[in-house]
Amino acid sequence: MPLSRYCRIMAVAAALCFLPAAVLAQEFSPIKRNNNAPPKPSGPTPRIADGHPDLTGVWNGLGDNLLGVPNQIANNGLSIESESVTRDLHSGALIATFPRNTTRPLNNEQSERAATLLRRVGSNKPIYKPEYWEMVKNLDHNSNEEDPSNNCMPAGIPRAGIPSYIGQFPNYFIFIYPGQGGLIATQTMYRMIPADGRKHTPLQDLDGTYTGEGIAHWEGDTLVVDTWGFTSNTWFDQLGGYFHSENIHVTERFHRDGNTLTWTATVEDPDVLLEPWTTTPRVALLNPRPGAMLPESQPCSERDLSHIVTKEHH
Amino acid sequence: MQIKTVVLTIFMLVAVTASAVQSVSAQGNAALDRAKVLRAAGDALGMIRWSDIGAGGTRLPAIDIANTMEFVGSGTSYSSGQTFKTDYHVTLGYNPPAMRVEMNRTGGGAPQHVIQTVRENFAWNESEIGAGLVAGKGTATPATAALRERLLQLWTLPYGVVKAALVAGEKTTVSSENGSTVITFPLNGQLAGLTVRATLDAKNFVTKVEVKPDNAALANLAFETEYSGYADHGEILTDIQSPGRIVQKQGGRTVLDIQIKTWESNNPYLIFPVPPNVKTVANSR
Repeated sequence: MPLSRYCRIMAVAAALCFLPAAVLAQEFSPIKRNNNAPPKPSGPTPRIADGHPDLTGVWNGLGDNLLGVPNQIANNGLSIESESVTRDLHSGALIATFPRNTTRPLNNEQSERAATLLRRVGSNKPIYKPEYWEMVKNLDHNSNEEDPSNNCMPAGIPRAGIPSYIGQFPNYFIFIYPGQGGLIATQTMYRMIPADGRKHTPLQDLDGTYTGEGIAHWEGDTLVVDTWGFTSNTWFDQLGGYFHSENIHVTERFHRDGNTLTWTATVEDPDVLLEPWTTTPRVALLNPRPGAMLPESQPCSERDLSHIVTKEHH
Repeated sequence: MQIKTVVLTIFMLVAVTASAVQSVSAQGNAALDRAKVLRAAGDALGMIRWSDIGAGGTRLPAIDIANTMEFVGSGTSYSSGQTFKTDYHVTLGYNPPAMRVEMNRTGGGAPQHVIQTVRENFAWNESEIGAGLVAGKGTATPATAALRERLLQLWTLPYGVVKAALVAGEKTTVSSENGSTVITFPLNGQLAGLTVRATLDAKNFVTKVEVKPDNAALANLAFETEYSGYADHGEILTDIQSPGRIVQKQGGRTVLDIQIKTWESNNPYLIFPVPPNVKTVANSR
């Protein structure tokens, strides 16, 4: 056999050997993206017997909410739409965008510092009464010690964001928020939310809790969850020192379009805020796997805080 | 004969392609230089960053991450014919463009405490931080005449220079003068008619910013500012470099000389809501 023909056969054989691995990697590894724009919906929106959308499902995409995109940046208001366009979703302002000037990965310190800045660069900030401006700034500045969720406490609502699982039943919903480490190290939360037309318990009769008293109703195809009766021991966004009083009232809106779920929360707290504040819309993808399950949450055990010696934080 | 023809054709194609590439490259040089200089200035300040934390498969581009900042310093300022010892406290943001300068002045008669604020098209003075937003909590006094001067203070800070030069696009020029790189660009909006000339040092830090009016009507806005002693002056380290000293001159006279104590660049919670009475006055103009 001529050598060149032998080489060609060997090359084809080698390629065939690696093909299954390549296909598998393509199927299960995170999709590489150069943007964090919200995912586009696809497929029909399933509906229940009464015609309302069916929100039931595991809403964590393929492992996280945006297919491997660092969505905490989008959550705080910046949409990196391409290699050259970034937009502040709240103000519409264009943010200067540049190519990465090196392929060298950032070390942990560089990456954490950059992430801290990126998470706070958006303009969508709640407007507190002036007497609380210093307090909010200082809570964020000292968030290693001050952030209530850093000690494995529940994130609370609306900080928990989009539930990873929604179970929809004729007269109630089940929301599950698995505990997590990283940006917010919190314990698992669940909510059982009636949708039977009942009214709220008077606020003064409620003991404040982490998830409050939530009651759901439909406004067209949008599920609205109206909640009050909270403890003041939480912050109402993922970062920023956004404390609140027990007088906080949260209105969440869930809208399903195909395989996407868009969520916003409006926070009213006349004790501390000058005006209501609404989160930047967040979009979750339905986990497409038929057998999708939520894994068990790892026990939340905080062991880092006592070793932190600087003010650097998430 | 056939081979010669093929070789000749290939040669001609290569020559034409090389010529075309050279031509495109020459056309792109000016823009490339401008982009490189602005990128270098932004990188020196630490304001162009990316992070892929939490997403191994994603490669996002770098973006301008400088928005809100707070700095505190002390030194001297000149006002109404007098030089004062001055404690200087500034909060600022670029999205939206806003700045609050709080000064405590002593040594020139009665002590003065002034809070001068600007946001987009609104300028006002506050009797206390956030005055005029809640009934009975201080007074906000419109200061429309000071709008341009205050916006100029924001856009002539090193970060403002890089941002505004990027916005000016092709109107921004870069040159080399006496061994230093100089960025020149026109301002726009409320600051139209003013040209900024910024000088970079060997490390690409903005060290001198000169504002030149295009016409005599804006002559009172001509000034120059020198920045030195760059470092990360924040308690929370961010790798953003900020000046350690600011010296501002107008008509040859030093009007501000401030030594910086802290400069927090970690996008802290700083907001600049416009008081209702300030909006009313501005909208009635």
